[in-house]
Amino acid sequence: MTGFQIPRNSLAWMLAAQTAVILPHISRMPYSTIALCFFCVLWRVMVYQGRWSYPGKWVKVLFVFFGIVGLGIGYGTFLGLDPWVGLLIMMFVLKLLEMHHKRDGYVVILLGYFVALTQFLYEQGIPYTLYMFVCVIMITAALIGLNQTRSHLRPVQTFKKASVLLLQSVPLMIVLFVLFPRISPLWTVPLQSSVARTGVTDTMTPGNIALLTQSDELAFRATFADEVPPLSKLYWRGLVLSRFDGESWTQELPALYGRLYRPDQPPPSWRDNMELLGEEVKYSILLEPTSQNWLFSLTMPEGTDKEGIGLVRDFRFYSFREIRSKLRYELTSHLNYRIDRDLHDFWRYRYTLLPVEGNPRSKRLAESIWDRSPNKQEYIRNVLRRFNREEFVYTLKPPVLGDNSIDEFLLDSKRGFCEHYAGSFVFLMRTVGIPARVVVGYQGGEYNRIGNYVEVRQFDAHAWTEVWQEGQGWVRVDPTSAVAPERIESGLEFAVEGEDTFLSNLPLSWMKYRQTLWLTEIRLQLSALSHYWDSWVVGYTPSVQMSLLARYFGDLDRKWLGMVMMSSFFSLLGVVAIFILGKRSHTLLRPIDREYLKFCQLLAKQGLPRSVGEGPLHYAARVVQTRPDLAPAMKQVTDTYVRLNYAEDQPEKTESLRKAIRVYRFRNLVTET
Amino acid sequence: MPPSSAITLDQRKIFILPTKEGILFSFLIVFMVIAGINYQNSLIFALAFLLASLFMVSILHTYRNLSGLTIMAGGTLPAFAGEDAEFTVVLSRFGVRTYEALLLGWNIDLLLGADLLEDEEVKVKLFVETRVRGLMNPGRMLIQTYYPVGLFRAWSWLDLDMKTIVYPRPVPAGAIPFSESTSSDGELIQREGVDDFYGLRDYQQGDPLKHVAWKSYARTDELLTKQFAAFADRRVWLEWDFFPGMDKEARLSRLCHWVLKLDTGNDEYGLRLPGVEIAPGRGPEHREEMLKTLALFEVEQGS
Repeated sequence: MTGFQIPRNSLAWMLAAQTAVILPHISRMPYSTIALCFFCVLWRVMVYQGRWSYPGKWVKVLFVFFGIVGLGIGYGTFLGLDPWVGLLIMMFVLKLLEMHHKRDGYVVILLGYFVALTQFLYEQGIPYTLYMFVCVIMITAALIGLNQTRSHLRPVQTFKKASVLLLQSVPLMIVLFVLFPRISPLWTVPLQSSVARTGVTDTMTPGNIALLTQSDELAFRATFADEVPPLSKLYWRGLVLSRFDGESWTQELPALYGRLYRPDQPPPSWRDNMELLGEEVKYSILLEPTSQNWLFSLTMPEGTDKEGIGLVRDFRFYSFREIRSKLRYELTSHLNYRIDRDLHDFWRYRYTLLPVEGNPRSKRLAESIWDRSPNKQEYIRNVLRRFNREEFVYTLKPPVLGDNSIDEFLLDSKRGFCEHYAGSFVFLMRTVGIPARVVVGYQGGEYNRIGNYVEVRQFDAHAWTEVWQEGQGWVRVDPTSAVAPERIESGLEFAVEGEDTFLSNLPLSWMKYRQTLWLTEIRLQLSALSHYWDSWVVGYTPSVQMSLLARYFGDLDRKWLGMVMMSSFFSLLGVVAIFILGKRSHTLLRPIDREYLKFCQLLAKQGLPRSVGEGPLHYAARVVQTRPDLAPAMKQVTDTYVRLNYAEDQPEKTESLRKAIRVYRFRNLVTET
Repeated sequence: MPPSSAITLDQRKIFILPTKEGILFSFLIVFMVIAGINYQNSLIFALAFLLASLFMVSILHTYRNLSGLTIMAGGTLPAFAGEDAEFTVVLSRFGVRTYEALLLGWNIDLLLGADLLEDEEVKVKLFVETRVRGLMNPGRMLIQTYYPVGLFRAWSWLDLDMKTIVYPRPVPAGAIPFSESTSSDGELIQREGVDDFYGLRDYQQGDPLKHVAWKSYARTDELLTKQFAAFADRRVWLEWDFFPGMDKEARLSRLCHWVLKLDTGNDEYGLRLPGVEIAPGRGPEHREEMLKTLALFEVEQGS
């Protein structure tokens, strides 16, 4: 059947769906692939219009070759997810030029569903999900079009039919979604390669946290079991940076830290150095993907029982896998704690290590302050006082610093962001032999009362310090609070209010309008909605499923869950079936019966209803008694009906009954007027 | 199911099974679920489950697209053996339910599509290839649908009790021999009242009133008289014995050819078969009777 022409309805929806499905991928696709897609669609339209014919075999081979080379050059590799998605899209589009059979149409449509799927590997938000739902309706419309008669030329009807089918499927989908037993991955799969690393990094150079704060992207949301602590106490510890090379701060060599404290192994010896005091704060964090390994926690956390995560020697969490998708973990922290009360000489040495060369003026400054201070505590206080009293400025636009960055910052420019203060503070501590280290993470956040969680965004990124003191262990010192206390109390936006630099690159960011109340209200609502979505839909993992179902069904195993799923699915399918097949009231009437009953209804309107079980002849006689004027019409209709009733069931004859009734109606009209 | 002239489809008559595409589609769903498991991606699960639900819901919709439909036998047209006979089938719907992309016919490779959307009744003319003469019952008719999504095929076989007459295949047999019996009779019978209309002339006094062309008078106000000419026609007898040595079907085919030929001429013709004789006559009804006789003459059972 080489003359197969795909129905117009189907082709139109196929092309529309294809465009819609590919559109979100375009930013990740090489130009050559985009050009190929466009050209194939154009060619297909030309074929439909009869201007061009299908390409020959060699042209197609050339297209495939060109496409694959284009993908190879564009991505530079065939490893990873993106080139494979590109290849899938290419096949999807090239198949358009090879539609000789109805079967080929099905192949295009099935590929379309699959391309729709790949979008979820990149985006899982509510807007994208709704968009993909519309795409799926369009693909389904193409599928319906393929099965309609060629004379059916109403694409909107086809789309409506597809919507009805899919909307009826949604309740069933929900049952499967909730109850289908989730299991852990069967094998490892290529992951997307184009996700940028976001969030705080393991290197702190003056300027890079300031850069991070230009973004209003979500970092994580934390839901507290009980009352939310004041924002000023929310120090989300991410990384400890203790090595300084004169320019940037980096992590300690992992080998020095020894074993991690993880749920599947006995605790390491350093676990005894943690003394957790005071009330416990329980919370869960839903972390956005970062492509990094570190996790954020409030100081000071207990261990975790989540697999794949461990507590490092410097008391922060580390994930064994890069975080490529949203990750939820639950923690308990104690805001009062005492850690490393006794610090081994080796660590005292490591935490006071500075490059021999560089920043000589700062070293002299430290020594002069040290000479004035009676003890270490007083020294710390004097340094902070210096930040506070001299004209240090907290700014998002610090000047560029040269080789001796700490010298230049402390003695010349005096303008800096949190990393400047934290870095130079640790420098000043270490110069006089006080163990100190930089901590990076986030500070504060925004409390969303609708969803009862704290939302932390990239502009909440922060750097502070920890100083080791005899008898107290590591104590948090935030030099930024000495310069700009409002940063800690109210957030970055208020701290830099005067200089108009908050999210200056994002003129339309929601976050800039926090003072506008109604906008804030909407923003909080949307944020809460998206949080529910992330926690209950996107984050519906095997463990979430188990804990949710255990709440309603108690403990259940997979087999039992499977049975619950099947029985709920099929009962719901029964309900849908009643809904779909329900309307069949007078389907068993013959056409002549239907016409006759309509006629009886007309008479009933005249006050002459037919009694139950009254035969047509008796009824006619009774009607004529009260209304002699109707006699001829009654006779004709009744005779025709009775004759047809016992005659062979020839549908053409229904017309004669209709005609008789029409005559009655006409006469009746005459007598009424 | 016993034959009947009108059948309403219900669950006892409708069969439904997935198509090849449906099976392919279910593989796609399995593949998607595996992708969902491996990527631990809830929305991939959601899409896979949506399509799985669509798969199940489409069973109901495909079934719905046949259920409640009434199929009635309409008229039939006879055919000559080897040609296609026409069978009209009437599809009707009652109530709000519409039917779309129905495929029907007797040959699974040559099904005709029909929609029942705005119309409550639609007539579908179907053609069935004939092979041998006689009374033809095409057997059970197939009605099926893939609508809406082609993942399932719902079908039903219906015995609509439709019959049509298949005339013998006409085979040319040269010039018509005037049978001896005709010429030996020798008499030409002057018949009355069956004369052929010849023409019109002006009305003259004394012309019988029933010969006045009243219709023409009503139109033109001119009185005209219809003229009838009485021909002493030849009467042709078509004889079984024209074709000695031929078998039954060969004879009938040739006789059939002559019936068609004579029908275009002016001669009256009759037919003599063993045990059957049809007096000479003319006109469509006569032709019909002749062909029917030829079609049904000593028909073997089961054809």
